[in-house]
Amino acid sequence: MNWSIERKLPLFVTILLLAVAITQLTIGYGEVRQASRALADKRLPLATKVLADLFQAGQGRVRITALAKDPAIAAFLRSGGRSGRDAALAAMRRVTTDTASNTGLELRDFSGKLLLHTGRFSVADSVFVSPGTDSARYGPLMRRDTTLFIAIAAAVGSGEGRDAERGGGIVQQVARMSLSERTRTTLTGLAGGDVALLLGNATGDPWTDFARIVPAPPSNVLNSRTPVRYERGETMRASAAPVPGTPWMVVAELPSRVVSAPARAYLTAMAPLALLIVIVGALIAWWGSRRLTRPLGDVTHAAEALAAGDLDQRVLVRRDDELGRLARSFNTMAEQVSRSHHHLEAQVAQRTKALEGTNAELESFSYSVSHDLRAPLRAIHGFARILLEDHHANLEPEAQRLLGVIDQNTRRMGQLIDDLLAFSRLGRKEIGAAPVDMEELARAVADEVRRTDVGRTGTLAIQIDPLPPAHGDRPLLRQVLSNLLQNAAKFTRDRAEARVEVGSRWDSGETVYFIKDNGAGFDARYADKLFGVFQRLHSTEQFDGTGVGLAIVKRIVQRHGGRVWAEGKVDHGATFYFTLPTEER
Amino acid sequence: MSAGVEILLVEDNANDAELTLRALKQRNLANQVFLCRDGAEALDFFADGAGRVPKVVLLDLKLPKVDGLEVLRRLKADPRTKSIPVVVLTSSREEPDIERAYALGANSYIVKPVDFEAFARAVSDVGLYWLLLNHPPQ
Repeated sequence: MNWSIERKLPLFVTILLLAVAITQLTIGYGEVRQASRALADKRLPLATKVLADLFQAGQGRVRITALAKDPAIAAFLRSGGRSGRDAALAAMRRVTTDTASNTGLELRDFSGKLLLHTGRFSVADSVFVSPGTDSARYGPLMRRDTTLFIAIAAAVGSGEGRDAERGGGIVQQVARMSLSERTRTTLTGLAGGDVALLLGNATGDPWTDFARIVPAPPSNVLNSRTPVRYERGETMRASAAPVPGTPWMVVAELPSRVVSAPARAYLTAMAPLALLIVIVGALIAWWGSRRLTRPLGDVTHAAEALAAGDLDQRVLVRRDDELGRLARSFNTMAEQVSRSHHHLEAQVAQRTKALEGTNAELESFSYSVSHDLRAPLRAIHGFARILLEDHHANLEPEAQRLLGVIDQNTRRMGQLIDDLLAFSRLGRKEIGAAPVDMEELARAVADEVRRTDVGRTGTLAIQIDPLPPAHGDRPLLRQVLSNLLQNAAKFTRDRAEARVEVGSRWDSGETVYFIKDNGAGFDARYADKLFGVFQRLHSTEQFDGTGVGLAIVKRIVQRHGGRVWAEGKVDHGATFYFTLPTEER
Repeated sequence: MSAGVEILLVEDNANDAELTLRALKQRNLANQVFLCRDGAEALDFFADGAGRVPKVVLLDLKLPKVDGLEVLRRLKADPRTKSIPVVVLTSSREEPDIERAYALGANSYIVKPVDFEAFARAVSDVGLYWLLLNHPPQ
């Protein structure tokens, strides 16, 4: 993917906007959730209090307390059940009629024996509640199958001592709780909206939501005086409160999803808005960055064209701001580049012409040297020889020796001229570039050196190691190997066992070829002089030569882009190194 | 065909000419040699109407008046003389000279050695080859 500024800028702005939007939404959601939870936590205890008050203020307790103090009941009990029966029943019927289907009212003595009964509802023949003496007391909620009922009892007399023997007893009312959807809806409405109200025993089952019997809430809900979370089908937030004067508790609860509904509503409303802002922002950023990068792109294209050689490339200046200034500066620069380029071209052409002239002069000079220097030399040599051959008899031995000296020096001079011309030709010759099998070349040169090796008293062993191929001019590289091997052969001539090795090694990215011998060597102090023209470290009497061979080696290697150097020690052999490019540059 | 001239030597350098003649003489080839001192003389040799056809022309390149390459060009351009073998015998071993000479139809290109023995051997070998071994068209 091309990460141009035109793409990066809108992307950056979009990411920034997204980050802001997400942060905003997260914080807003948290705040709303917090607020609605606080609201719920205020509502729930309020609801429990309303319900608790409702039950506390029940009329039943007041009526049963009054009934236990009724003189007719007391008289009936005091008579041992023998008199006042009708008056007692009438008092009881004022509380519960004989036809009441959901309620039963009983009068028993302290042993639990049923004395009188009104109302049709009855559960069992027993006392459910230990009765209160001063006022009626509610018993815990009780359950028979799917029915819940409430017992309330009050004592007539103290039930102790004299009262227990005569005149005491218990008034007990048992009422069935009417569980219905209507009751539940009414109570829920009372608590407000989604709050569910539950009633049950503080010690455990049974519990009801006023429509049906439900499992008791966990003890942590019942014991806590602040709203808590718990699971009942779903996550709930609940608050519990005891109903004063009863063993009951009420619980008000709200599903957590209802508590967090406003926060979700906030998200639903705000998220699309935030997305819209992000999209609009991204579009604006994209448009802005295009406006910014297009002129930059124009300048870049023009600069690329300029770099590729189109010097007439200019940019259209469309604006007056920094980008406009850039475009103008570019045009000025392009103008100058174009001008100096043309100037340079003219100069190059002029220099090239001058150089061509010099080259031609040099060529004609070496032609003259080649031709005119050799002719007189040939004459000197020729006539000296003729003198020796034709007038041998007339010449004294000293004259003959002197003619011999002339002969030697003219030969040497001829060799010098040839070498010098070869050396100067190298500077002008085009260097070919092709893969060269150096190992094969070295073997061919070694064969030639062995063939032409003369004046040796000992043995000559030339070892060719495997050599990597080079890239260059084959005839010239042959010349390099030839000169170096000829030298190695020459300077090992007086050894009993002359050894020459041609090898190579890989050294920091380039191939280093070397030719190593065990010959006369040289003084390492003069190692840098070896490669100069006409530089010789040995006398002609010791080893013949013109001192051009190594200069030629150096020039060829350098023209290939390589380096050449030598190591050696007097009488301990010499090693010549050169590097060559392994492939085309 | 003139039996008188078998070798035409075109050489401006008197010393070189003398050494060449001496080398040929040693092989008994010097009797039929005609010497020209410059290119113009050489062209006159063929232009005088005598219709002389030597068996070989030994031609130096660096000559006064008309240079050797020009002489070579004219000889090879003329139908009457183009089959005469021309051996370039010169001091120059410059590559351009060699290429141009062969391009103009030179039959051989010999670089005169500085060493007299080598020079004498080269000259006499050339003389022997073209005079005795080579069969020109009749």
